[in-house]
Amino acid sequence: MKKGMYISLLITCCVLGLLLALQFRTTTRNMPHDRPQVLTQELKQLEEDYQMLMAEKDNLQTKLQEIKDGRDKTYEVLQDELKKLRYAAGLEPVTGPGIEVVMDNMPENKRPEYDPKLFSITYLDILRLVNELRVAGAEAISINGQRLVATSEIRNAGNFIDVNLTRLTAPYIIKAIGDPEKLASSLKIKGGLVDTLEEWSISVTVTQKDEITVPAYAGPLELNYARPLQKGEDQ
Amino acid sequence: MWITTILAAMGLCLGLFIGLNVPIILPEGYAPYLGLAVLAALDSVFGGIRAGMEDQFDNSVFLSGFFFNILLASGLAYIGERLGVPLSTAAVVAFGVRLFQNLAIIRRHILKK
Repeated sequence: MKKGMYISLLITCCVLGLLLALQFRTTTRNMPHDRPQVLTQELKQLEEDYQMLMAEKDNLQTKLQEIKDGRDKTYEVLQDELKKLRYAAGLEPVTGPGIEVVMDNMPENKRPEYDPKLFSITYLDILRLVNELRVAGAEAISINGQRLVATSEIRNAGNFIDVNLTRLTAPYIIKAIGDPEKLASSLKIKGGLVDTLEEWSISVTVTQKDEITVPAYAGPLELNYARPLQKGEDQ
Repeated sequence: MWITTILAAMGLCLGLFIGLNVPIILPEGYAPYLGLAVLAALDSVFGGIRAGMEDQFDNSVFLSGFFFNILLASGLAYIGERLGVPLSTAAVVAFGVRLFQNLAIIRRHILKK
């Protein structure tokens, strides 16, 4: 009887100790038992955040792409504008339909009784010719390969004619791009420039051409005194 | 008397030693059931001590009560959890009250001697 009691006491105390130890280890291990819920909630929140951030990322990427496209387009437009302006300013060789005018002095044996100097071509003749061509809508003009630009001059320098600070001699070949019919008729009109010049014993040949090339201006392009007007500056 | 105390202390130490060294760690979810089991075991042990002091100790009643109470307490808590009724609270209250009663009686017996 006593023996059985001792054994049962030993067993029960042993089991009690075991349970106590297990419980102690379980509860003191760490986290509270609502941790899964907290973690689940946190996970859900994070997933939502992630989705939101992904959407934002997509949005921003689309915006970036739009901006990039816009920049490329602007760049293209500016490039086109620059090209156009360069053509208009005479910095690029251009080609197109137009006319070619060859002006030359008469051979000296054909005008023996006059002073040859009196009837040779002067800068004024060329200037008038250029004026006529401009009025008739010439878009690009060159004289003996010298492209006429905004700063070009046509003037006498001794026995020569200066264009773009380059000395030119006869014959003068003037090329102009524009409507060939219009340009030619503006020169050949009765009582017009060609008639006048021929009266002054200067030979003028006007040839209409389907394709004519006017070279680019090769001189320097420097503005030492002029500067662009600042915004808001008084004129 | 002393033999019983020494035996109880030995058993307790042995159980604690085993429990602290077993590589099993119970999952978090079992903690409430195990707690109730511990409570039931404590109640049974103190009941046994009290019975021994009153010379009414019955070995089979003690052993069966010990294990049955442990299982009942845990099972009740489990059923309560399934049903959504906090039956574990009932077990805690019942075992707690009995524990204190037993302790009080043991105290008186010790004081009478």
